Amino acid sequence: MAGYLLRRVSQMILTLFLILTVTFVLVQAQPGDYASFYALNPDLPPDVREQMRATFGLDRPVWEQYLIHMRNTVTGNFGVSFGHFPRPVLDVLAERLPRTIVLFVSATAVSFYVGFLLGKAIAWRRGGILEYAATISGTALFTAFTPAFALMMIWIFAFRLGWLPVGKFLDPLVWRDADVSSTSVFSLMLLTAAAFLAFASLVSFASRRSQRIGGRRSAVPLLLAGALVLALAWYLSGIGNLALDILRHMILPVATLTLISFAGTMLLTRNSMLETVREDFVMAARAKGLPDAQVRDRHAARNALLPVVTSLIYSLVFAIDGSVIVESVFSWPGIGLTLLEAVRTEDLPLVMGAIVFIGFLSLLAHLVVDVLYACLDPRIRYR
Amino acid sequence: MQGDRIYQLGITADLTTTNHWSYLGPDGTTWNGYVLSDTKPVLFSYSGQRFDWVPSLAADFPSPLREEVVGGRTLWSTEIELKQGVEWSDGTDVTADDFVFTAHVARDLQLTGNWPSIVDPEFFDHAEALDPYTLKIYFTKRPGLARWQFGLAFMPVLSRAYWEPVVAEARQAGDITEQQRVLYAHVPEGEPSAGGFVFDRWEQGAYAEKDRNEGFYFTGSVVTLYANGAYGEVKPGAYEFSAYGTPEGEKALEFTVGPFADSAIYSIYGSQDATVLALKKGDIDFMLNPLGLSKGLQQQLQGEDGLTTIENPSSGVRYLGFNFRKPPMDDRAFREAVATLIDKEFLTETVLQGVAIPVYTMVPEGNTAWHNGDVPMIGRGMSRAERVARAVELLKGAGFTWEVEPRMSDDGAFMEERGEGLRMPNGEPVPPMSLIAPSAGYDPLRSTFAIWIERWMNEVGIPLRADLTGFNLIVDKVFTQQDFDMWILGWGLTLFPDYLETFFHSRYSGLEGRNAGGYSNPEYDRLADDFLAETDVDAAREQVFRMQQFLAEDLPYVVLFTTPIVETFRSDRIDFPYTEILGGLQESAGLTSLVTFR
Repeated sequence: MAGYLLRRVSQMILTLFLILTVTFVLVQAQPGDYASFYALNPDLPPDVREQMRATFGLDRPVWEQYLIHMRNTVTGNFGVSFGHFPRPVLDVLAERLPRTIVLFVSATAVSFYVGFLLGKAIAWRRGGILEYAATISGTALFTAFTPAFALMMIWIFAFRLGWLPVGKFLDPLVWRDADVSSTSVFSLMLLTAAAFLAFASLVSFASRRSQRIGGRRSAVPLLLAGALVLALAWYLSGIGNLALDILRHMILPVATLTLISFAGTMLLTRNSMLETVREDFVMAARAKGLPDAQVRDRHAARNALLPVVTSLIYSLVFAIDGSVIVESVFSWPGIGLTLLEAVRTEDLPLVMGAIVFIGFLSLLAHLVVDVLYACLDPRIRYR
Repeated sequence: MQGDRIYQLGITADLTTTNHWSYLGPDGTTWNGYVLSDTKPVLFSYSGQRFDWVPSLAADFPSPLREEVVGGRTLWSTEIELKQGVEWSDGTDVTADDFVFTAHVARDLQLTGNWPSIVDPEFFDHAEALDPYTLKIYFTKRPGLARWQFGLAFMPVLSRAYWEPVVAEARQAGDITEQQRVLYAHVPEGEPSAGGFVFDRWEQGAYAEKDRNEGFYFTGSVVTLYANGAYGEVKPGAYEFSAYGTPEGEKALEFTVGPFADSAIYSIYGSQDATVLALKKGDIDFMLNPLGLSKGLQQQLQGEDGLTTIENPSSGVRYLGFNFRKPPMDDRAFREAVATLIDKEFLTETVLQGVAIPVYTMVPEGNTAWHNGDVPMIGRGMSRAERVARAVELLKGAGFTWEVEPRMSDDGAFMEERGEGLRMPNGEPVPPMSLIAPSAGYDPLRSTFAIWIERWMNEVGIPLRADLTGFNLIVDKVFTQQDFDMWILGWGLTLFPDYLETFFHSRYSGLEGRNAGGYSNPEYDRLADDFLAETDVDAAREQVFRMQQFLAEDLPYVVLFTTPIVETFRSDRIDFPYTEILGGLQESAGLTSLVTFR
């Protein structure tokens, strides 16, 4: 495994190198002079422009600029953002990332869960109304034009029915007396989610270990108790209403993303399940007289999970990359909206930083998928 | 808080700073301007709607500029009395020291961006506080209106007490770049205000909020604009001021200064569509956007209850420019013929269905103080046949000849004979020329104009081809390379029309200069120089009128059109004392200190 990981990390570095090269070439290839764009930006003080010139080697030949670009990227030096001067690019990206993660991890998790449940169900009972309804509606939604569909959702649920906010991630009227920033609340929400996940994993592990003495039955109450403790902690913190406000603003984008993307997971799960149910071990489980639900959930579905997990991890990365549209429509100021604004305002350092950042996350996701494979399926061994 | 009167505004881009030094420096975005407006005092400002130059923190107009020797140097100086009783929101007085501090920091730290045009290092020497309420400003040379009355006098004054420690830290930071960086990077917390509002909070990506300045000096002042041009401002028991004539007779406008809102919240939306939906839903009262509402969004808002849509001319123009370095563009008769052939009214009203407004001078009509409505409007009201006849007459008169002379049908409905073989007065054929203009994807209005202009020119035998291309390429060709024949672009314009000098004075005709067409007329240069050196507002106005007249006749540009700026607000909740204003309400950042609630 260690050798495999080493090999994969080497490949990852090579791919990252290619990404950086392509990014550099793309920026160089745009109309106008890249060097003068940096060096002549009138918004920046002349001395800062000089510093830029030195930092990026703008008065040197292109190949030298390229080498400097690689060195700067490796050291995390993307320079300062033109549009957020004098803030460094990494600072801007770090501020926006938690918002994107909270929204898209939630959306992807919900979409994955819904898709997986439905996929499992329609594969098990083929030819029923559920299969036709889920497949047709899922496929129709999957092919919907995202911005139009998102606007339609806003129009129905926010404007016409007035149930949910039009966009943004918070209501100024709720936040105007708050003493904390939204970034802190987002970070705390992420921390809470991570803590709950860790607790859930621990409970799951413990329940499996104590299966023989009937410990599984205590897992659900334990999880509920954990959730209750966390909810209580939020309530007592005095900022629970702020987290609730964010959650309220998340409902519409999460619902939209779920409706658009659950079909992918659903169909993948269905196909994977259909292959798995033909396997001998499923027949053996049935022959042993195990209940239908147990055969489906614990024998067939678990083995059908592998390709679905791959898809999940990739969707998480795509979520960050493809968030441009959704974040614009829902006024959710994460990485996507930042990238769009940077392109609009020709904030080149921020554009390059965001692209490299997304590329790096994609590579990391690939690596995680490979490692996760081994964890999920003991049959897979890397050499 | 419950019951608060909150003025809710929608914006479509986030702020990039709340630091006023940085806002007027490298972070000079429109959006920062919207939010940070109305928080800092200024010596002089523009009056509402009519843009008269009036005292604000100053008690009256400044003393005339005086030449004097200071420390062996000859300087120009002026004195200004400040109003007494104007306070920062922390309760301390706004004094001459605050002005001195702000101007000196801008000078000493060589602040960039808009600062050099406010505190021009070529003119500003230093300022002194003769006493807390008397300010004396010294200039190295005699400053014109652009440098003093419409430059330094508009400088936002920052609190010395708050900023002095920050500036002291910046000065320790090393070289000048580092000093600027430290100053720009400071995030103000609890910075006092002397405007209508005190900046309260910026939740990045979500909203910004300003709270009413309870101690705002001007609250309750009554401003009156008289039909005879006079301006009056009264705060009972505090001060009374009038200018530009006797304040009597019919009142064109009268309003009371607030703020009447307890707070102004700027919600940040990701797109115009989302902002419009928020406006329709009632989440916001007004949407700030420098371009106003697009046609599609206007239609979305049509017929909605509780909303009022207003339309104003924008403070910018689109124009056709000539390259004077090449014949026949250097021939005035040729330029007038081109101007005559362009039927702006037909294009704006018939083809573009009223989405553009034809204009004939560089100073927009809404800029009432400086606009000359009597400039020659070449071609206005002429029929197609009359235009062609006039263009032929002009060209013939200048010595141009045709192999086939253009001729309209007897009823003037169509070209019976297209012009061919046009030759210049020296006998050489008029070379094929190109008109570079933005493509339809970037600006359908300008590309439409370009296509029609090509057609009209070709009809009379002028070999012009419209070359619709990318905006950046046009800018590069016109300003960087100066390799073109004619071009169509636009300018956003300031209220004070010193751009008449920078766009057309021959000193700016070099590479990267604003006078990209290379227009050079010594007579105009003299006019522009005089205007720049003028220190009297009335005299400057006369000069600007003459300059507009000159340009409308000499035609370095054919000024084409401007676009109306359309805005919508929730009239069931708020009201403004006036809605007719150049550039729309967004130009005044949504009139936060004047908006009232129903």
